[in-house]
Amino acid sequence: MKEQAHARRLPAWLFWSLVTIVMWGTWGLVSKIASDGVDAYTNQLLFTVGIVPLMVFVAWRVSRAGNRRDSSEKPEQRGRGVFWAFLTGILGGVGNMAYFQAMVKGGQASVVTPVTALFPMVTVLLAMVFLKERLGRVQWIGLGLAFVAIYLLNA
Amino acid sequence: MGSMVWLGFAILALVLWGITGVTQKLSTNRISSERSFLWFCWAMVALSAAALLVARPHWGIGPTVLVCSVAGGALNGLGAWTSFRALESGGKASIVISLISLFPLLTVVLAVGLLHERLTWMQGAGAVVAITAAILLSLEPGPGKAEA
Repeated sequence: MKEQAHARRLPAWLFWSLVTIVMWGTWGLVSKIASDGVDAYTNQLLFTVGIVPLMVFVAWRVSRAGNRRDSSEKPEQRGRGVFWAFLTGILGGVGNMAYFQAMVKGGQASVVTPVTALFPMVTVLLAMVFLKERLGRVQWIGLGLAFVAIYLLNA
Repeated sequence: MGSMVWLGFAILALVLWGITGVTQKLSTNRISSERSFLWFCWAMVALSAAALLVARPHWGIGPTVLVCSVAGGALNGLGAWTSFRALESGGKASIVISLISLFPLLTVVLAVGLLHERLTWMQGAGAVVAITAAILLSLEPGPGKAEA
């Protein structure tokens, strides 16, 4: 009963956000432990093994949604969407290997993870150039702070 | 010099993951987030197969390393999935993404507490500034942005 009352107070989006923080925050820790005993390629290989059960679950959900006709998808755009998703996976995977290699080369999890978490600085710059998105003042401040952070973390 | 090597790889990861922010958007503009995630995973499988052929993986690893490495994939994938759930559960993107950007703080706490890593004052300040920067960068810029 107590748990039900607590669940009622905590909005679903906040619950899932906190779970995400725990998942990704812990990933940084286990990546460092793994990187102390295995090279970046093998780590990426085992990382993929870990993601397979979720992949099977999502495939099941996608096939179920396919039977119900997902109206948000445009069939003529599907090929391009799949291409960009696949490219995201390749870039993400190579990025993972670089992240693991940073730890293999002696980078501390407590330093490497905050540095790599600055990746939105690249996203906003690319979005500005290629997607013609505008940066707000707050994002410009964030961009400036990102460079300050990289300097401080390497000090 | 040694410290520069890890920083180089960390910045490479930062750049590649930064590019995925754009490619992911180009994908989810056209297909559902779940189908996009599925193809993202297929790419991971293809990349791992290539690594298996090219890099001759190292198999002499202890159980702790094995568990941590596999758990890393599970945690990362589940984190991506729960972040989608947060957005689909009615959370504002600017708030959800800013909140999620706090995850390195947990890594810092765990690494200092469990792995006994030590940060200099400058690095501690850098971690705080980095997390602040990530939050600010994740905030929606407001009206006036154009789609691809």
